[in-house]
Amino acid sequence: MTALLGRLDALRPTVLPPVVGVAMMAMIVGALVAAPREIIEGEVQRLMYVHVPMAIATYLSFGVTFVASILLLWKRDMKWDALARGSAVIGVMLCGLVLVTGAIWGKPIWGVYWTWDARLTSTLVLFLIYTAYLLARSIAGPLDEMAARYAAIFAIIGIADIPIVQMSVRWWRTLHPEPIIFQPNPALPGEMLAVLAVGFVAVFALAAWLIGMQTDVERASQRIHRLRAEVDQRESA
Amino acid sequence: MDNIEYLFAGFAVVWAVLFIYLLLLQARIRSLHRDIEHLEERLADAEAPAGTAPRA
Amino acid sequence: MTHAIRTVIEKDLRLAWRNKSGWLSAASFATLAVLTYSFAFDLATGDIRPLLPGVLWTTFLFAGIFAAGQSFQQEHEDGTFDVMLVAPVPVTAIFLGKFTSNLIALLVIEFAQLLLASILFDVGLLTLELLGIVVLGTVGYVSLTTLLSTMGGQVRGRSVLLPVLALPLLVPLLIGAVRATGASLGLEAGSGPWILLLAVFAMWSTLAAVLMFPLAAER
Repeated sequence: MTALLGRLDALRPTVLPPVVGVAMMAMIVGALVAAPREIIEGEVQRLMYVHVPMAIATYLSFGVTFVASILLLWKRDMKWDALARGSAVIGVMLCGLVLVTGAIWGKPIWGVYWTWDARLTSTLVLFLIYTAYLLARSIAGPLDEMAARYAAIFAIIGIADIPIVQMSVRWWRTLHPEPIIFQPNPALPGEMLAVLAVGFVAVFALAAWLIGMQTDVERASQRIHRLRAEVDQRESA
Repeated sequence: MDNIEYLFAGFAVVWAVLFIYLLLLQARIRSLHRDIEHLEERLADAEAPAGTAPRA
Repeated sequence: MTHAIRTVIEKDLRLAWRNKSGWLSAASFATLAVLTYSFAFDLATGDIRPLLPGVLWTTFLFAGIFAAGQSFQQEHEDGTFDVMLVAPVPVTAIFLGKFTSNLIALLVIEFAQLLLASILFDVGLLTLELLGIVVLGTVGYVSLTTLLSTMGGQVRGRSVLLPVLALPLLVPLLIGAVRATGASLGLEAGSGPWILLLAVFAMWSTLAAVLMFPLAAER
């Protein structure tokens, strides 16, 4: 199993970039040109083809952070810390983009950039939690095992908090009615679904590629600190 | 072509952020590789046989 | 186990009484916050009552986070926390002891603020229901702030970090507490569901903190 993962990991630099490139191009063409124009919302609706896949990719990225954090606490191998940090960076970036594209989409459609409904509030809280995670983790050094453990604990509590946040906001909204802005999506015509599917492939490939690279950077940073310590030790001997 | 300025803004933000991220990542990778090279050099020097004068 | 918890509580309360400065700072902060809000909102609007729940709970949360940082700072500097961990005491007892002593101290501060706010805002705040809500809400946040303050021990810039870490986690608590307080003051109907939310959050946060503390306390 480990050998298989190792082989897959080695294939990353050769396989992912062209896949990402092609898929992204296909998504752009699909979103901007091929997909039919939505009657009610107009052109801005095309943002959905990036917005929705990025939202799912955000959850997947933070899911990776969650699993890596558990593995770090269990196995105590700092490579899991690198993966947790790497996927958190990408997750935060994607989450920020989801919030911004959502606001840009919302303004012409619903007249407001923001509202405190269940989904938006929990997405914002998710963004804040993982930004805090990255901030807290980066204050300590890359090899600081205790800081890595603390960060992992925080990441785990953070993920567990999200369902509670959603529940509380939903409660808030049903017991304290405000104009409900989000309606469930009506069934999408086939061409839109096709472009959306391409969007998912493109964004997931992009996220996987970026998480891989960011994790490599974290591991390189760890290695440098180890080398530095070794060099200092040898030179002063 | 209603609301197209919003569409443009949305996609522009996405590409800008991804592009900037990739640039920053490249810069960081380059600087990390440089550091690793320097450190490996110093390590090799430090492990050199005794009698070599330490570098200033 | 209970004996150990009681010992930790007694020790912490005794320490808190001796080193009053940390807790007095938290109390002063809370008082100043309530006064400032009262002044600012009186300038802004005639009827402050709808704002009261928000004022109270933001004050409580900030004071609680501030206090958590202070109380752990002292112990970390003295090195007593590490000594306690080495003692043959179940780790959970240590956590529950710290949790209870923090809870008691904060409830004292909050009660004082409720008294002050009753006077400033001319509202009857010392009802049994409202006190119950405050206790439940405080339990909800003290568990997390106690855990987080333990973890932040060695980090510089911890005082700024603690609110950044704690507040996003406490969003559901804030929602439930503000709504429940508002309902209790008659600003809206039905405090029941909100009290339920507070109870759920208190159970979740305490459980999470109790489970995670042993991992956080490992050296």
